[in-house]
Amino acid sequence: MSEDIHALSGAYAVDALDDVERARFERHLAGCPACRAEVDGLVAAASELSVLTEAAPPASLRAKVLAEIATVRPLPPLTAPQAESGDDAVTSAPPAPSQPAAEAAPAESHGDQGRHADELSERRRSRSARGLARGWRVVVAAATVAVLAMGGFTVWRQIDKDPSRALADQVLAAPDATRYGARLAGGATATIVRSTSLQKAVIVTSGMAQPPTGKVFQLWLQDATGHMTSAGLMPGGGDQVVVLSGDASHSKGAGITVEPAGGSDQPTTNPIAFVAFA
Amino acid sequence: MSRFSVVPSGDESPEGATRPVPLEQLLRRAATGDETAFAELYDAVSSRLFGLVRRVVRDPAQSEEVTQEVFLEIWRHSARFDPSKGAALAWMLTIAHRKAVDRVRSAEASRNRDEGYGASNQDVTHDSTAEAVVERLDAERVHRALETLTPVQRQALELAYLSGYTHTEVATMLDLPLGTAKTRIRDGLIRLRDTLGVTL
Repeated sequence: MSEDIHALSGAYAVDALDDVERARFERHLAGCPACRAEVDGLVAAASELSVLTEAAPPASLRAKVLAEIATVRPLPPLTAPQAESGDDAVTSAPPAPSQPAAEAAPAESHGDQGRHADELSERRRSRSARGLARGWRVVVAAATVAVLAMGGFTVWRQIDKDPSRALADQVLAAPDATRYGARLAGGATATIVRSTSLQKAVIVTSGMAQPPTGKVFQLWLQDATGHMTSAGLMPGGGDQVVVLSGDASHSKGAGITVEPAGGSDQPTTNPIAFVAFA
Repeated sequence: MSRFSVVPSGDESPEGATRPVPLEQLLRRAATGDETAFAELYDAVSSRLFGLVRRVVRDPAQSEEVTQEVFLEIWRHSARFDPSKGAALAWMLTIAHRKAVDRVRSAEASRNRDEGYGASNQDVTHDSTAEAVVERLDAERVHRALETLTPVQRQALELAYLSGYTHTEVATMLDLPLGTAKTRIRDGLIRLRDTLGVTL
């Protein structure tokens, strides 16, 4: 896994990387403006190919789409790391738990899809007021955060020396890195990458849902006797890269369970994913 | 560039004219909760998005499902589209492609994968003859650009982008040494970009 990482730009632009390669390349992108510019151009080129596959969807889809979006509020602009929601396409650090109140208040009820013009303009006014408040936070946050945009996705990333990020990068790129894959319900995937020499394991997830309300995802390492030791909590939603805490060099397996908020000393539910380091 | 992205996106152009409203502007309005603007956006891009999704996913019912998810994601993330990084259409296609690839790589989808693509093929419907001509010219342009690629570059790119295989799978399928498919894909994309004169 030590090949020239720049060469992955094309495969990244057409989604031809597996989850682990994608996570590695996105970390590389955060610090490589040349690759970001190249990826933007290659994404644009690839998207031209879709002119060859045009096909009108069934007419019924339009009504389904429009009925569905009427029940969902668009996310606010991504202007500060606090505003990052857990289910973004690309996230690598646990979202900060602050600022949920303004985001959580639903602007419309799901039952009544009828719209009045003044209701809408009221919402626009309150949105622009919140936008101003966020704009101010940007100035504060700008010193520690850089914007990374890929194909128009704007992603906030901490680029300061986050030790856990650096460690995850080392594990993913280690010569003895070994992968173990698991599939979760709903098509999500989890890949555990372990480096025995670094004594660490990293979990890379793709398309994972949020845990149920009031619950958390907890990671576990299993020893030779079958005993499970907590390896920390992990955020749900979208794509995550998380280092399992503890020494993984002698572990026989790793798993994820759903636990009450704060986590448990021992698993209290069956794992939603488990891999054996065989 | 596609016909969508040649329209300037900066200013508020008058509506109701014959000129279509730029996609960037429709996205901006969608971000404020404007469902009418989103309906207009749907009409403008649904064939491009659905066609790509169906090419990758193949199963018609799943393609429809994925396309619905794609539009929901576009709606939710409309405020986060950054026009400085590329055209709105490319951004939406990126979302569609990623979701299609995620679906096709999941276990449920693999069952239906090898069913014939042609069997469920629906003809493209066009609203007007003029639009059909523009689309045909666009397609011809892309076909000509693809012809400038080497056969291996072209095959690798098509297997990756249009069929959703990883570069490792592409290498095996084309009997290439491991690690060279990604280079072929990149070289092919660069040539395509330069031939089409894609600018951001």
